[in-house]
Amino acid sequence: MNNVLLHSDSQVDKLGQWLNGNGGDGLANALSDPDAIIPVLKEAGLRGLGGSGFPAYKKWQFVAEQDANPDKYLICNGNEDEPGTFKDAYLLSNSPHQVIEGALITALANNINKIVFYINPEQKVSLEKIRNAVEQWQTSNFFNQLETALEKPLNIRVMASSGHYIGGEETAAIESVEGNFPFPRGKPPFPAISGVHGCPTLINNIETLANVPHILKNGAPWYQDLGRGDSAGTKIYCLSGDVLKPGVYELPMGTPLSELIYTHGGGMLLDKKIKAVFTGGASSTILTPKDIDVPLDFDSVKERGSSLGTGAMIVVSEGTGIVKRVTEYINFYAHSSCGQCPPCKTGTFYMSQLLNKIDTGQASQFDLESLINLSKILPGSGRCHLLDGAMHLVDSSLMHFIDEYKSSLRP
Amino acid sequence: MSNETAMNGSISYQEALGKYHIQKQSEKGFPAVELSLDEKQLLTEFHPDHRHETITNLQVGPNKGDRCHKQIADVLQADSRIDAADLAGARIRETDVLVIGGGGAGCAAALMAAESGAKVILTTKLRLGDSNTVMAEGGIQASIEKGDTPQSHYNDTLKAGHQKGNKELIKKMVMDGPETIRWLIQQGMQFDLNQFGDLLTRKAGGTTANRVVYFRDYTGLEMMRVLRESVSNSDIDVWDYSPAVELLSNESGHCAGAIISSLEECRYIQIKAKTVIVATGGIGRVHLNQFPTSNHFGATGDGLVLAYRLGAKLRDLDSFQYHPTGVAYPQHLSGTLITEGVRSSGAFMINALGKRFVDELKPRDIVAAAIIRECREGRGVAGNNGMRGVWLDTPGLEAGNPGIIKQRFPKLMKLGLKSQIDITQVPMLIYPTLHYQNGGVVIDENGQSSIEDLYCVGEVSGGIHGRNRLMGNALLEIISFGRRAGAHAAKNRKSRGHKQISIDHISNLRRELMQNGMPMSTKSPLLFPEYAQYDSEKNITIRNSSTPHCGVCD
Repeated sequence: MNNVLLHSDSQVDKLGQWLNGNGGDGLANALSDPDAIIPVLKEAGLRGLGGSGFPAYKKWQFVAEQDANPDKYLICNGNEDEPGTFKDAYLLSNSPHQVIEGALITALANNINKIVFYINPEQKVSLEKIRNAVEQWQTSNFFNQLETALEKPLNIRVMASSGHYIGGEETAAIESVEGNFPFPRGKPPFPAISGVHGCPTLINNIETLANVPHILKNGAPWYQDLGRGDSAGTKIYCLSGDVLKPGVYELPMGTPLSELIYTHGGGMLLDKKIKAVFTGGASSTILTPKDIDVPLDFDSVKERGSSLGTGAMIVVSEGTGIVKRVTEYINFYAHSSCGQCPPCKTGTFYMSQLLNKIDTGQASQFDLESLINLSKILPGSGRCHLLDGAMHLVDSSLMHFIDEYKSSLRP
Repeated sequence: MSNETAMNGSISYQEALGKYHIQKQSEKGFPAVELSLDEKQLLTEFHPDHRHETITNLQVGPNKGDRCHKQIADVLQADSRIDAADLAGARIRETDVLVIGGGGAGCAAALMAAESGAKVILTTKLRLGDSNTVMAEGGIQASIEKGDTPQSHYNDTLKAGHQKGNKELIKKMVMDGPETIRWLIQQGMQFDLNQFGDLLTRKAGGTTANRVVYFRDYTGLEMMRVLRESVSNSDIDVWDYSPAVELLSNESGHCAGAIISSLEECRYIQIKAKTVIVATGGIGRVHLNQFPTSNHFGATGDGLVLAYRLGAKLRDLDSFQYHPTGVAYPQHLSGTLITEGVRSSGAFMINALGKRFVDELKPRDIVAAAIIRECREGRGVAGNNGMRGVWLDTPGLEAGNPGIIKQRFPKLMKLGLKSQIDITQVPMLIYPTLHYQNGGVVIDENGQSSIEDLYCVGEVSGGIHGRNRLMGNALLEIISFGRRAGAHAAKNRKSRGHKQISIDHISNLRRELMQNGMPMSTKSPLLFPEYAQYDSEKNITIRNSSTPHCGVCD
């Protein structure tokens, strides 16, 4: 547990300490052969750890191939605002240097000259720590070497995001960096082609970036061996809810859910039974007790009809109302919808109204049927994935707990 | 009471009464007294706060490791009354500002919030005004006299609190004093006036100036009368018989409302609020150290428990005020308050030997400790029910100022009648009564606790009075900080877009309790005190030690 990203050598404030411990070697290796970075990542099998699970090297290749525009952007996405997810804040505030070194290697690999740390404004400690750490890097030798390798000045900006949930979406983040309200954009064009001010833009999650220096230092086979089964690397799981010891746990990718809850999380609070686990924050789906053995990696969780998402596991015990939980999430989505797309704006609002009605015992069978119908027709009608995420959650809860919905109806 | 008064002998009621008369007639008054112990030593040896066996260290929560009275620790470290499952189908109401508590602080806060345009719900455990505010007799402090200044008020308050009060809070309160009186008068409150219509003032124990304004000996009752009317004439939505059983929190730990137990409907209701003001009062009904209390039936420390569970920092949990003059006899009235105003007006306290033993206008903790000392060292008067105490020399006061008791202290007259004593002729037997919780939730100058969107005002908050409160500062505090919190909470009523509003913070409490191996069997908040039965034949009170059925849906 906690072998790489959360290792005590990684959790340091001073650049000197970081370079004497785990740090520096990855960047040095990268500087010695920048063209080898992407192949190493490809071989290692690093995936986007912000929720997509998309192979990191593919995204990078798109950006690396762009050479028409002299400026390229890297947005280090620390907007993290999903319920139950707190890993990025933990990484930024406890180990800023490994994140920054990851960002620098990424910039080198993709010939990026503008790095933006895009951080949730509620996370004041993260903002302060990363600002402080960036200053230390800017006066180090590495920084000069990087600029020489890039053959252009390297600009690093630390900015607070708008604090809106939707601001974490890739194209919304681009709007935010440009100084606008984070309205998601339609795709294409994809950010890799045209992002911030029309420049090629790469957007990576904080945890993804934090892995990069370690892979470059220790090599792809080492990273692959860290995972269990077919999975590579480690994953930071955010365990919360009705467990005895909630918190962040860095475990091999593919660690079974049961091991996370019972071995590391200390078991269930008051020894109650598990009723459900909301995975990956709210934009994912529900696992039930029959899935307790599922290895927590992107593919295995997907096979169970759910998704790993950010690695957040919100454990809910018997005695908790699923309808109430889902209602709270959908209330959040209704509040978070940017309002651009009418189906999302009105759809989440109406779903929230229906769910509140059901939750407070005032709904009829007709209301439940409306809810079911909406959850079928709404997905896919928004520009970004907010609406889809909301509907998948409702759909998943309807699939597993339809009886609970029915029993909440007005007699 | 009986534990505390298990002392080395004492003098019988009749014998002491005899000595009292002889002394009074022969000397026509009493000389000034000097304490034979210094004040610090007196407090250490005799004040109930200093009984080490009643103090423990908290094991869970934000004040982990801090000193706390054992009985308070028991309620702070108890399990919640409710579970998430209890909320299935619970009705949900939404408001801008939720005020929990219908006493003076709650009403003042609600009025200010409503005046600022916020939608306000005020919930109260019993009925609006059923509170300790109505029990306040002596008056309210404000530096309005010529020659008096807020600076002197500040100095007196800080000194009486043994220099432990929060200076910023005291400063705000004393500066608010005159304006507070003006506001109360605007609400319609009456005060005792002189022939020219000016406010009459008197001196509180431990102060340097005449600073207490009052109305008879039921200032708090009069205050509550006008506050109730003002609330009734506003748009504030008042929910009677609706105790809060838990606060609601969001995913970042902000306060986001409360769960109300509707006693009339026997069901839980969720109130989601943008800001919450807790004004639930103190904890006297827990009967710390088995002391009788002057407190109202509802003073069970509910707000303290709810705020602590949400992570609010508390302070001075080992410091309580024992009001020197509680009724000691007859027993069914024991603990009933006799206002400090009686002593301010010149009444002495006399021990069983007929001697004065302390300057009656010393701060309350000193006077209370002095009374306990007299009783413990055998100079107390024994009532015929095992109760001990000392005399409050009301006949002496009446002799010096004929008619004063009837005119100024009608409530005391009535208390005498209930006790079948003519207090103008016979002194009353008194003993300290548990009166006030000096500590409480740590707040800032707007009444905000360490938890976002949670305000705490009145006795539930701590810091203003340090480790001992002056007479008249409680009424000032509830209005001053009640108004501050109300105005600020209304201004702060932003829509937060909470991801989740729930009672999830209860899991943190349960987690900590489990990890510390603490019992999960007791539940809090108490909501209602243990029932006691008065046995009129034996003239004793029997307290039921089992958990009472309180009418809540559990």
